[in-house]
Amino acid sequence: MTHHPRFSRRRFLSAAAQTTALVAVSSPLVLRPGRARAASDLAQGMIGGPTGFPGAERYQYGPDTPEGRAIEAVKALKAAGKAPERIVLGLSDGSIGQITQPFPEGAPSVKDLWEQETGITLDIVGVPNGQEFTKVMQDVSTNGGGFDIYAVEWNRLGDLAETGGIIALDDFVAAHRPEWDDPERGYVNGKQGVSLLNEYRGTVYGVSLDGDFQTWNHRTDLFNDPNEQKAFADKHGYELAPPKTWKQHDEIAAFFHRPDQGLFGSTDLRNQGWGYTNWYQRYVSMDAPNQFLFADDGTALINSEAGWQATQEYVDSLSHHSPDAISWGWPEQYGNFGNGGAAMTCAFSNLPKFLDNPANEGSKVTGKVGSHLPPGREHDDGISARTVLWLNLTACVSSQSDHPEAAYLLLQWLGSSRIYSWMTANPSGYFDPFQLANFADPLVRETYHDYHMDVVRESVERTVPTINYPGATAFHNALDENLMAALTGGMDAEQAMANTERQWKRIARRVGEDKLIEAIQANKAAWPTVMDPASS
Amino acid sequence: MQRSLSFEIFRYAAIFTFLALSLIPTIWMISMAFKPIAEWQASGADLTWWPENPTLDNFRFIFGESGSDLIVALERTAGRPILASLLAATFGTLIAMVAGTSAAYGLSRFGAGGNLPLALIQLRIFPPMAVMIPVMIMWAFLGLIDTWYGLALIYGIVTMPFSFWLMKTFFDDMPREIEDAALVEGCSRWRVFLKITLPMMRPALASSALFVFILNWSDYLIALLLTTRDWVTIPVYMASLSSSMTGQLYGAKAALGLIAAVPPVIMGIAIQKQLVRGLTFGALKE
Amino acid sequence: MTDMTTNDMGATASPQDAAVPGGSEEKRLGLWLTLPAQLLVIFIALFPILMQVYISLTDWSPLDGIPWYRAYELWIGLLNYADLANDPRFWSAMWRTCIVMAICVPVQFLLGLGLAILFVDDFPGRRVLYSTILVPMMVVPAVAGYMFFMLFQSGGPVNDILSFFAGRPVTIAWLSDPDLALFATIVSDIWQWTPLMFLILLAGMVSVPQDQQMAAVLLGASWWRRFRTIVLPRMKTIIIIAVAIRVIENFKVFDNFYIMTGGGPGVATETISIYIYKVTQQELIWGYVAAIALAILIVLSVVSALAIKKLRSA
Repeated sequence: MTHHPRFSRRRFLSAAAQTTALVAVSSPLVLRPGRARAASDLAQGMIGGPTGFPGAERYQYGPDTPEGRAIEAVKALKAAGKAPERIVLGLSDGSIGQITQPFPEGAPSVKDLWEQETGITLDIVGVPNGQEFTKVMQDVSTNGGGFDIYAVEWNRLGDLAETGGIIALDDFVAAHRPEWDDPERGYVNGKQGVSLLNEYRGTVYGVSLDGDFQTWNHRTDLFNDPNEQKAFADKHGYELAPPKTWKQHDEIAAFFHRPDQGLFGSTDLRNQGWGYTNWYQRYVSMDAPNQFLFADDGTALINSEAGWQATQEYVDSLSHHSPDAISWGWPEQYGNFGNGGAAMTCAFSNLPKFLDNPANEGSKVTGKVGSHLPPGREHDDGISARTVLWLNLTACVSSQSDHPEAAYLLLQWLGSSRIYSWMTANPSGYFDPFQLANFADPLVRETYHDYHMDVVRESVERTVPTINYPGATAFHNALDENLMAALTGGMDAEQAMANTERQWKRIARRVGEDKLIEAIQANKAAWPTVMDPASS
Repeated sequence: MQRSLSFEIFRYAAIFTFLALSLIPTIWMISMAFKPIAEWQASGADLTWWPENPTLDNFRFIFGESGSDLIVALERTAGRPILASLLAATFGTLIAMVAGTSAAYGLSRFGAGGNLPLALIQLRIFPPMAVMIPVMIMWAFLGLIDTWYGLALIYGIVTMPFSFWLMKTFFDDMPREIEDAALVEGCSRWRVFLKITLPMMRPALASSALFVFILNWSDYLIALLLTTRDWVTIPVYMASLSSSMTGQLYGAKAALGLIAAVPPVIMGIAIQKQLVRGLTFGALKE
Repeated sequence: MTDMTTNDMGATASPQDAAVPGGSEEKRLGLWLTLPAQLLVIFIALFPILMQVYISLTDWSPLDGIPWYRAYELWIGLLNYADLANDPRFWSAMWRTCIVMAICVPVQFLLGLGLAILFVDDFPGRRVLYSTILVPMMVVPAVAGYMFFMLFQSGGPVNDILSFFAGRPVTIAWLSDPDLALFATIVSDIWQWTPLMFLILLAGMVSVPQDQQMAAVLLGASWWRRFRTIVLPRMKTIIIIAVAIRVIENFKVFDNFYIMTGGGPGVATETISIYIYKVTQQELIWGYVAAIALAILIVLSVVSALAIKKLRSA
C-alpha cells in the first residue's frame, strides 16, 4: 500500500533524526564492505541478518536461504567487478521509513544492513503519493535512466511489461531461487500467489513488497456495547456482530449511522480512483464461487443483473456514509476513523497498525478496533465473501539499469521472508505483510495486532485480484467514471454498466484481444474458491 | 477635494465586506498552520476558527524536527523544495523579463517581430499539459529533467508572453519625446534604451516581474512532470505531506503554504513603492 | 473568449502599425531585441509541434514498448481526429472550461473594477487595505486547493458560516455534488484571481486623467454617464489586457481544481487541462493526446488570426 509517510513511535524520533543525518552524509561514509561483524552477533550457522535485539535470529539467514544466496551472489558480482557502486530505488515517500528506520531498538536499518553486507549504496528516491506510475512512465518514455528499480502498483505490472521499460526476471529467478512459494514461509496460495503478485503472462516481472488485501475493520466499543446490542437485536431480530453478508452489513451500517453525533455507518471509500474497489467486493460475490468480470472469451460480464444490483447497492450505501463520501480519499477516511467517526470501514491492512496504536496520541480509537472478514452473499453452497487486492507495491527492475542482476538480488533479499518479516514489522511505513512467515512472526503480530493478523490472512484467501491485464488503468478508469456517474445520480445502475461495457470493448480492441484473453485467463487462475458456511 | 460622508461610509463598508469574504481562506490557512494535530480534523460542532492550543510544531515538522504532537517524521524536509522553487521561479522570471521586455521594446519602437504578439498569445493560451509529452522528451534529451535550470527555462518561456504583453502596453503608452530628445543629443538607440527608457520603466518592470514571479512560483503541473527528486518544488512536495496516522497533514500543508506566501509578499512589499509608481505610470502622458 | 482575444489583438497591435519607420540601425536593433523571444518561441514550438503532428497520426502509446520516433509502425492516419470529433468527454470538458471562464472572468472583472473605483483616490488606510486585498494572489494555488477542500467539507468552515446565518446546522456536501463542486471550484478561482484583476484595472484607472475627481464623479448624479463616457473608453486597453489575461489563464485552469476535486465527482469539474492530464497519465494514449493538442492549437490559432484580421480592417 502506498500512501503513508512513515511514522515512528516517539522513542524512534531521535533515531530518526540520526538516520536522516546519516543518510545526508552517507556517500563518504560508505561502509567498508570487508568490515567483519563479530561472529557472536549472529546465531550459529548464520551468515547475515540483523543483530542487536531480542529475536534477531529469526531474521538471520544461512548460506542456503534466498537472502543468503542473494548476498553471496552480490559479493561474487562485486568480486568480478560487475556490481554497481549504488542502486537507485524509486519508492513511495511513505514506504521509505521501513527501509531507513532502525527497528526495533538496537537493530540497524534495513538499508544499513544491506550496505554493510554488500558495500553497495542503496539510494532511495522518494516519489509522492499517487505519482508512482507517472514517474515511472516519465522515466521509461524519456529514457531518463533515473532508476534501477521502480516500485509501482501491482496491477500496472502488465502495462509496464508491455512498455519494455522493465525486464523479465525469469533467468535471475532460476539462478538464485527466491523460493517465493515455500509452503512454510512463502506467499499465501503458493505458486498461484506468486503468479498473481509477481508474474505477467507467465513471466516474472516484479517482486512483491506489499500486501494490500483490503480488510474490514469495526469499532469493538460499539459492537460490544450491551445497549447497542439490545437495541439492534430488538430492531433486526438477530445479534449485533460483525456482518457476514452484505445485507447485514447494510443494516448494521444504517443502525450506527448517526451523523448528528459525528458517527457514520461505514466509510469504505466512494471516491474517484479508489471507490470502485468496494464495488468490486459487492460484484464478485454475486455468484458462487465468483462472479467474474470477463468470460473466458473476453466478453465483459458486468452489464448483467449482477452488475446492476452491485451498482445499485453501491450507490444506495451512500446513505450511511459521510455526506462528503465522494470527495474523501484514504487520508480523510483514516483521519475520520482515528477520530472515532465511523462504525466500520474497509481499508489497507495497516489501518490497525496506525490507528490502534498507543504511540498515535491523535487516535481516539486505540484499543477499540476490531477486524472482520469481508461481507459476502449466500449461495446454495455457502457464503461467497470476497475482497480485493488493490495497489500493492511491486518492485521491478528497469531495463535502463546497467546492473539488472544486482538490482534483482537486492529485491530477492528485500522480498524474502526473513528480511521482509523484519521490515514489515517496522511500523514506519506501508509495506504490509503478505507472506506466511509474516503472519506468523511475533514482531509483525505485535505491530499489526493479533486480532487483525488472522483476519488478514483469511482475507487473503478470499481476495480477488483487480484487473491487472494490459490496459488495466483504462479499464478501471472507464468503470470508475461510470460508477461515479451512478453515485452522483447522473446515470442509473443499468446505464452505468452498459456504458462501462461499451468502453471496455473499445479498450479491449486497442489493447489487442488475444493478449487480453491470455491475461484474463491467467488472472482468473488466482481467484479464490473458498466458500464460508452460511450463517445459522 | 470634496468627498461626501456617505461615499466614505459606502467605500469602507464595501471594502470591508469584500475583505471579510476574501480573507476567510487565508485566515483558515494561517490558523491551521498553528493548530496542533488534534484540531486539524475537527468538523461540525468541533470546528474551531482559531487554534485552541497554538503551536509551532507544524513548522518544525516540515523542517524535519518532530513536534511533540506529531508522530510522523518526514523523509524529505521542506528545505530543498523551497530552494528549488526559489531558484526556478527567480531565474524563470529573469528569463521571461529579459526576453519579454526587449521584445516588447523592439516591437513597440521598431516594429520588429510583428509575429510575436500572436505567437506569444498562442504560447500562453495553449494548455501546457497538451505539450508536456514532447517537452518531457526534449528536456530528457537535453538533460534538463529534474534540474532547477531546466525548470527555470520552461518557466521563462511560458511566462514570457506575460512580461511581453505587460511591458508592451507600457512602452506603447510611453511618450517618445523623451527618447527623441536624447536621440537628438546624439545618443545611440541602445544607450537610449538602456539609460533612459529602462530606468523610466522601473516601476512597470517591477510590477511585471512580480506577476511573472507569482505565476512561476505557483506552478504545479510543469514541475510535477519535469522534476523527480532533487528539484521538486513546493507545490509538488505538498503531496508528500499526508500520513496514515492522521490523514492529510493539513497543519503541515498550511504551514508550508504560509511559508510559500512569504517570497511573493516580500517582493510585493519591496517593490510597493515601485508598484505605486507603476500604477500611476500612464499619467506621464499628460 | 473569442471576443476578448479579438479586442486584445486589435487594440495592442495598432501601435506597431504606426511604428516609426526607422533606419537600418533601428531595424537591426529591433531584430536583436526581439531575437531572444523569437528563439525561445521556436525552441518551444518547433519540435513539440512536429512531434505532435507525427504521433497524432499514429496509435502510439508508451505502453507499446517502442520509442516515439518509431510510432509510424502504428500508423492510423486521421483516426485519432475522427475519434476526437466523437469524444463526448473532450467536448464536455471544452464546454465546461468555457462555462468556467464565462462565470469567473466577468465576476472577477466586476469585482476588480468595483474595487478599483473605490481605491482610485487616496483615503485613510488605503495602502494597508490595498495590500490586504492582494493577499490571495500570493497564496500558491496548490495550497489554496487544499484549503478550499477543507473549507467546503460538509462539516467545514463554509457550512459553519452558513449555519451561523441560517440559524440552523447547514451540512451541504459541496464537493460530492456535481453542480456544487463546480461552484466551489469556481469560487476558489474567483477568490484567487480577483486581486490580479483589481491590480491591473486600478493601474489603468489611476492613469486616466482627472483621476482626482473620480471619486467625486461617482457621487454626482451623472457619475455613471461620466464614468462610461470618460473613464471607461480611456481604460479600454488596460481592460482588454486584464480580461485577456484572465481568459487565457482560465482556459488552462488546473491546479486548484485538480487538488480540490480531481476533476470530480465524475467529470463534473473536469476542465480541458484536467482531461488532457488524465488521458496522458492514466490512459496513456499519447497519439490521441497529440491529436487533442493539435486540435486545440488549430482552433486557437484560427480564432486569434481571425481576430487580428478583423481588428486591423476595423
